[in-house]
Amino acid sequence: MLNITKTFDNDALQIALEGRLDTTTAPDLESALNESINDAKELTLDFGKLEYISSAGLRVLLSAQKIMNQQGSMKVINVRDEINDIFEVTGFSDILTIES
Amino acid sequence: MPDAGSDNLITIDLEGRIDSNNASAVEEKLLSQVEGKSNASVRIKADKLEYISSAGLRVLLHLKKTNPNLSITGVNPEVYEVFEMTGFTQMMNVEKAYRVVSVEGCEEIGRGANGTIYRIDQDNVVKVYNNADALEEIQHEREVARLALVLGIPTAISYDVVRVGDSYGSVFELLNARSFSKILATEPDKMDWCVKEYVDMLKLIHGTIVPEGELPDMRQIAIGWAEYLRDYLPAESAKKLVALMCAVPKDNHMLHGDYHTKNLEIQGDEVLLIDMDTLAVGHPVFELASMFNAFIGFSELDHEIVKKFQGFDFETSTVFWRKTLQAYLGTDDEEFIREVEDKARIVGYTRLIRRLIRRRGLENEEGRARIGFWTDELLKLLDQYDSLVFTCCAVDMEATKDNLPRAMAFIDEHLESVDCPMKEKMQIDVAVEEIFINIANYAYDPGKGKVTIRVEAQEGEAEITFIDSGIPYDPLAREDPDVTLPAEERQIGGLGIFMVKNTMDDMSYENKDGKNILTLTKKWETA
Repeated sequence: MLNITKTFDNDALQIALEGRLDTTTAPDLESALNESINDAKELTLDFGKLEYISSAGLRVLLSAQKIMNQQGSMKVINVRDEINDIFEVTGFSDILTIES
Repeated sequence: MPDAGSDNLITIDLEGRIDSNNASAVEEKLLSQVEGKSNASVRIKADKLEYISSAGLRVLLHLKKTNPNLSITGVNPEVYEVFEMTGFTQMMNVEKAYRVVSVEGCEEIGRGANGTIYRIDQDNVVKVYNNADALEEIQHEREVARLALVLGIPTAISYDVVRVGDSYGSVFELLNARSFSKILATEPDKMDWCVKEYVDMLKLIHGTIVPEGELPDMRQIAIGWAEYLRDYLPAESAKKLVALMCAVPKDNHMLHGDYHTKNLEIQGDEVLLIDMDTLAVGHPVFELASMFNAFIGFSELDHEIVKKFQGFDFETSTVFWRKTLQAYLGTDDEEFIREVEDKARIVGYTRLIRRLIRRRGLENEEGRARIGFWTDELLKLLDQYDSLVFTCCAVDMEATKDNLPRAMAFIDEHLESVDCPMKEKMQIDVAVEEIFINIANYAYDPGKGKVTIRVEAQEGEAEITFIDSGIPYDPLAREDPDVTLPAEERQIGGLGIFMVKNTMDDMSYENKDGKNILTLTKKWETA
């Protein structure tokens, strides 16, 4: 289960995630991003209530990061330790801007 | 209520052929017999009726108008077909003639709680029911066997009901089949093969979901057994026994209910399940309980019993039971096997004690000795356990993405049982997801194969094994992605396996007997 909450403030898009970002739910985040990302200059992903992430989730983060590198900036906030470890192992901590 | 006296029941014999040539003569004869008795029930005995045309059917319709309570008995199969095709079977009570079969001199090939099975010729066997009035039982068994077959369980379905002396029998096609009991009794070197086939079938049964309400709930039945013992056990123990049964979660998976080796047959190279009348739904502990009774419980005090019933000795029975538990639970962890066996024994002894008390076992010395022994064992076990449920260490499922939540739930249950910390649990979950999805996506054509997942979890360590029969693939041979590259140059492929390698303490792969076997080990610090 993954709950996705989107908030727009002019060209700043904030997406809060709650639950699990895995093979089953990653496509939901992907389509939520596809709907709105073109209008965003700033993208903030709030992971405060995200419990779990697998490579299917990382895949979506990477493509969002690639898009935002072209048109603005992206950051991930409120990352839990367990998920931060996954970012470390996969080198995502060097790619993403992570604010704890 | 209609009176069954001679004035109110008229019996008429019909013989030979009834067609347009003689229909009016037959009608005249029939109507003359019921004349002035329009309230009477009419029974037509059709045992010698060879043929009936539409002209003949019209005669019966006229008769039904004057005497609505009309029944026809002893109808031969050809004539019955005519009644069925024309809808007459829905308008009036039409009873088929039962074929008469003799079992004199026939080999007895099985004996169960409610009947005895004889081979009547090379291709057919008949199950003769103990109960003389067994038509309802036969009907029930046919229905559940049909249900099981539709749900994918290989079983023999009776195709005919016959008269055997004063009893009824149902006939099955069973060509040159041999029961597993016979194989175990005569070919001891086939023990391991028997265990494997027996356990595969057991897992197939227990993996089958039954639509709500189609089969009885074994838990309810077992609660009934426990309630019965309230009068015979110390109050506290009886209370705990009932509570343990009640606490077993509701489960809609199939149970056979009488799964011993006489009820499994090999026919050619196909394994078939028979004796389906005990089919139910529920937690596997109830099945293991009846298996324990069949192999051990019944014979614990008198080892000859199993020999008499199954044909093999108590030692063979014990070895077969132990090996079956090992294979079914997917582990050779003695402590865990003992625990599951004990839980099965709690249910098993409950049933045995109730059964023997109901058969007046308390009224004789031998019966009291057996009930006493089982009761002592039961009371000891009740002191030791606070739950009857357990989870197998291995599970088989179709390798499809849709089964990911099932695989995860299976793993998580084990991890939680050994208090795996959050961080390690998440790393293991990620690893399981990556490996499972890899197998689901690449091992087979979609939806075409199975994966077995096995867990050995203990304090501080979990070992998880994936086994599939798909195309050989060693994920460890894959080159690691460069995780130092900037986003624009990063490739996403291989990242999942890379994560697994870097978060697990050990990861090993082998290809053996055409199977991919991948094992993950994760350790953690314990408090």
